[in-house]
This record gives sequence, C-alpha cells and structure tokens, in this order.
Amino acid sequence: MTDTTPPDDPTRTESDRPAVLVPLEVLEGESLPTGTADLLANAHVVLLGYHVIPEQTAAEQARAQFGEVAMSKLDEFAGTLADAGASVETRLVFTHDEGTTVDRLIYEHDCLAVLVPNSTERVESVLVALRGTVGVGRNTRLVAGLFAESDVEVTLYHALDENESIADGESFLNGVRADLVERGMAPDRIGVVVEDADAAVDAIAGHGESHDAVVMGETDPSVTTFVFGMPSEQVAERFLGPVLVVQRERPEE
Amino acid sequence: MDAPNGSDGSGDPNGSGVPDASGPGIVGPAAEVDVPDALADVVDADTGEGELERTIGLTGGLAIGIGTMIGAGIFVFPGLAAENAGPAASLSFAIGAVVALLVALPTSELATAMPRSGGGYFFISRGLGTAPGAIVGLGLWLGLVFASAFYLVGLGSYAGQVFLEAGIALPVDPAVPLGVAFGVGLTALSLFGTENTASLQNGIVMVLLVILTLFLSYGSLDALGVFGTESTPERFFPPGGLLPVLQTAALVFTSYLGFAQVATVAGDIKDPSRNLPLAMVASVLVVGVFYVVTVFVATSAFGSARLGEFGETAMVEVAREFIGFPGAIAIVIAGLLATFSSANASILSASRAVYAVSRDDLIPAAASRINLRYGTPHVALGLAGGPIVVLAATGQVELLAEVASFLHLVMYGLICVALIRLRRERPDWYTPSFRCPAGLAVAGVGAFASFALIAFMQPASIGIGIAVMVAAYGWYRYYGTDVELKGRF
Repeated sequence: MTDTTPPDDPTRTESDRPAVLVPLEVLEGESLPTGTADLLANAHVVLLGYHVIPEQTAAEQARAQFGEVAMSKLDEFAGTLADAGASVETRLVFTHDEGTTVDRLIYEHDCLAVLVPNSTERVESVLVALRGTVGVGRNTRLVAGLFAESDVEVTLYHALDENESIADGESFLNGVRADLVERGMAPDRIGVVVEDADAAVDAIAGHGESHDAVVMGETDPSVTTFVFGMPSEQVAERFLGPVLVVQRERPEE
Repeated sequence: MDAPNGSDGSGDPNGSGVPDASGPGIVGPAAEVDVPDALADVVDADTGEGELERTIGLTGGLAIGIGTMIGAGIFVFPGLAAENAGPAASLSFAIGAVVALLVALPTSELATAMPRSGGGYFFISRGLGTAPGAIVGLGLWLGLVFASAFYLVGLGSYAGQVFLEAGIALPVDPAVPLGVAFGVGLTALSLFGTENTASLQNGIVMVLLVILTLFLSYGSLDALGVFGTESTPERFFPPGGLLPVLQTAALVFTSYLGFAQVATVAGDIKDPSRNLPLAMVASVLVVGVFYVVTVFVATSAFGSARLGEFGETAMVEVAREFIGFPGAIAIVIAGLLATFSSANASILSASRAVYAVSRDDLIPAAASRINLRYGTPHVALGLAGGPIVVLAATGQVELLAEVASFLHLVMYGLICVALIRLRRERPDWYTPSFRCPAGLAVAGVGAFASFALIAFMQPASIGIGIAVMVAAYGWYRYYGTDVELKGRF
C-alpha cells in the first residue's frame, strides 16, 4: 500500500478528496492512460491492479508467478498519479471474477466513482450528465472535489424525461449549479444544457465529443451493480475518452 | 503404510487417557479465533505481491463436492457392486459414507486452519513433514489421475450407450475409445478454455439431483410395492457373508473421493471457516444417501447377478424396467453429465495437486508455470491429462477405481494422523476456526478405518498403490531431501 498524500497541501485531508477507483488490468498491458493524472489530481485514487484468471488456475498460483511484475507496474502508475497531486492507495488483486473484485473495492474504500480508463490529451472541459435528483449529491461532491480548485470548465447536462418541461430541467440543473458554487466552484465555469433527447446514451456520447471527460451515473440500480453497466459502457466505447461513473450509495453491510 | 503407528511421541491415538490432550479449558490460542473471516484475511493479506479474491461460495463448494462424487457411485458402480455383494452393496456404500465422514470432519478442521490450495497434501506436509507430504502430494496427483481415468471409462460407457439406444450397432465396445477421446478433449478444454465453467458445473449438479430424486423416489415406491408389483426380496447378505461387503466397500470408495476436492480449492473459497466444513460434510451426506437408495432400487428391480451383467450402465436398464424408454434416456443423459463433471473436476484437481508440490519445490518449478496467454497451468494440466489418457486406454475399471481409492485412503489416514499430531503439539499457527467434535477419537477411528479399508482391496491394486508410494518416496529422496515443509507457510 502506498499512501502518498502530498505534504504541501495541509488544508486538504483525505476525507475531503473524492475517492475514485481506477481499475487497470495491469498484466494485459493496460497502463495509466494519458490525462488520467491531470483528471484525478485532486482525488483520492484507489488504484486497483487486477488480473483475471480462469477457474482452472488457483489464484495463489497466478500471484506467485505474476505478483511482483504486476506490483512494480502498479507502483510506477501510483507514482505518476501522486506526482500530479493525487493521494494514492494501490491494491493488486488476482481474481476469477472482476465484477466481484471491483464491487468489493468500491465498498471497502467507499468510492464515489469508478474511472473507465481512457486517454485524453488535456483536461479543460468536462461534461456532467445528470439523470435526476436521486443521489445527485454524490455527483456534486465528486465534481466539486475534483475541479473546484482547477480551471476546468464544467457543463451540466440533462436529457428531459417524457413529462418534463424545459423549465423543469433548467431549474433542476440550476439547483445543482448552486450546490457546486457553494462547494467552491466559480459560477462562470459552469455551463448548463437541457435537451429533449430520445436516446440519452447517444446524446451523452455525442456531446462528450466536444469535451475531454464525462461524468455520469451508474446504470439502473435494480438491474445490476456492475460498474461497467450498459449505458456508461456504451458511452465510454463511443466517446473514447475517460468516463467517471458515479456510484450509488452502497448500503451499510 | 507405516502411518497407523504414527506414534512419534503421540502415544495413544484416542487420547482418552492423557489429561492434557484436548481438555476444553486449555485450548490456548485456539480459543480466540472464532471470528469468521479473520482467517481468510490472514491468508489473503497482501504480502507485496497482491491479494486474492475468493469467488467460490457455499453453493459452488457443494457443487464441486457433489459434482465430483456423484458420477461414480450411481452411474458406474451399482452393477459391479451388486454382483459382488448383492443387496448388501447398499451397506458397502453406507460403510464408505461413514469412513468419508470420519475423514471429512478432521479435514474440515485442518482446512479451516490452513485454507490454502493443495488440500490434503498441504495439511500433511505442514503437519507431519516433508517425506509424508511428498508421498501424499505425488500420490494425490496420481490418485486423481487414476480416478479421472476411471471416470472417463464410465463416461465412455454412457457415450457408447447413446449408440445402443439409437440402434446403431458398433463392431467393438466403444467405451474405451470414447473415454480416451473425452480425455483428450477435456484436457484441451481445460488448457485453452477461458469460459467460466463454474456456473455450468452448478447447473449440471442441479439437473442431476432433480433427475435422480424423481427417479429414485419412483423406484423406491415401486420397490416397496406401492405400485402393485412388490419385488421379490433377495437374500440381503451375499453367500460369502460380511467379507464381500467389505471388499465392495473398498471398491466403491472411489465414489467418495470428491469431498476432499473441496479442500483443494480452499484458497478460492469465500468465508472458508463456515463454507469449507459445511460443503465437505454436506456433500458426503447427500451423495451417501443417494448411493444407498440407488443400490436399494437397483437390486429390487433385478437380481444381483443380472445387474452385474449389465456392467457400468446397469442403471440404464433399471430405469428402463421402471419407466421404459424415456427413463432409460433420462439416465443416459444424467450418466453422461455426471461422469463428465466427475472427470472434468478430477483433471483440474490433478493439475492443482501438481501445482501444490511444485510450489514447495518437490518437483521442478516449471511444472506450475502459467501460460500468460490462456492463464492456465499448461505443464501441470499436461502432467494430469497425459497419464489420464494412457490409463483410460487400459479400460480396467475396477483396478483404476481401487488404485485411486488406495492413494486417497493413504492420504485420508494421514490427514487424521496429522490432526492428532497437531492437536497434541499445538503449534502457534494452528488455530482452526472449526473444531472437529471429539476430534482425537474421530481422527483415530478415521485413520484406522481408512487404512483398514485398503486391506480389502484386490492384491493387484494394493501392489500398484504401494509401487506408486515407493516411487514417490524415492523421488523425494532423490530430489527433495533439503526441503523442509513442516509448519512452513
């Protein structure tokens, strides 16, 4: 475990920093994508290196053979993140099922969001797709935590539901915006877009193209708890940049 | 072999006369360890090389135990067993279940103290030392090889039965060639297949249990005369009295080899303190009941001699007798699934046994190399699959079964001895979260019963079993004398 809270920042404690899980399949050659360190400079990053092994193989066996290599790669990535300003914890897990592992770590570290690691050239503007009032506080905590002290432009986006008017949507987003300002974001860096879109996923991916990163919610809770649930996965695939998937509040065990 | 007198300092195996053996007041460090996951946490703690995700739950553990065992007892042995022991063959199966339970309880205790992959080999090498460990480790690998070959011949018999049911006449008995083909196929599948097979295994076990429950309920009711045709009761004991019953118990003990397979994946089981003992004991109880009822139903449908003529696929004829063609088809399908899952599970366990001894430097480390592309231990799987295919080609069902049982029984006996030794020495690291009730007595009787059962096997099986053990010991003297495993973690 490498805990590297930068000493030159006494005003921030770890609990202020939004915890973000960054899962990397290290042994499959997945490395820290360009731009990740900038994006998460103000986060508490839980850097998860994982390796999926088939059932024919004992997890211990894989660890014995690959543990050191994987750990040294992971430490290298952790160094990059810490240099950019993030506090970093690393975890390396050998697993038969990545879903179980990612889910467990979100839980254990109380992560606000999971990063779908894609690369981006710069981090100047971020699209924040919001679905509705439920759990929106977690989105604002994440966005303010990551970007309040930076120059990043944030665009709040909401696709209207069937029986919602433009005014409803705008008042919802303005509320979110006020919350962000209260949390330290400069008002002039927050834009608002409300739209009547048929397919929210397409719309988000489309808008994403003019931004450097996307923040969006988790898939419908009743369907699945997997992080890479369908909509966020689809967005990530089309948008090709980093996507922060905000996690629902996990119930106490 | 020389294990029943594992009396190096332990004296009386029952411990009844020794006041400080297992007095409840003086368990020392073990008294504080009933926090369920503390144990897994210690084992999985990140030692700088990463942690391990435990992904097998109780259902998965039960599926491994039941799925490995049920193939043989119901779908291969009833005909052979009835031929030897008549209706008393159900007693033979019951004896096997008792022996298996006597071993399963101490195994559970050891497994919760050392929830690591490797199972019995791990407990014995850590509890008794390197030499017994090497004999058991290499013996376990070969024991599983013999067991897999046995299951493959059974699988081949059922595949051959498919041709018979379809009315296709084959010039030769297809059981052995088909078994060999399946052996090659399963090895290849485990080398290159990266699909998740766990849910498949769970599904197979569910389907099997449903088919068997329906069939055996109907068969039992029929045998008891509910449907009008009460069967003629045959004399319960065979002409030879108790001896053939015990000999048959030794033969069919192969049907119980699966419970310890749960311990070989102990490193991957969630909440091992609870799930390991439950999965092992429950799977023995479940299959034991099924076996006893199966033999009862089979021997009430046909005379024992007739059942013997049907051979490995006797249950197909029993089902045909009760329910006609659909029953026969259902049992053929169930038999294919059961022997397939047993063979597959044993091949994977054999490869894990190779890994376990290789990790301890008892065989070259190359044997446990993992192929990065497929993530599978290709050398270990080859060391399992190769000899399995060769042995399956011999087609010697009874010999394969008995050698497999022999090698496992040696391990089971030594597991019990290891429990007795650890309970007496009480090393610091020995803090099992499940304690076998009346541990010393159960382990003492378990060890005795395991070694005693060997005595009832055919001389040829005993000879091959001893040869394997001598060879394993010879290998240890040649290669591994500088390895010290006792108490090493």
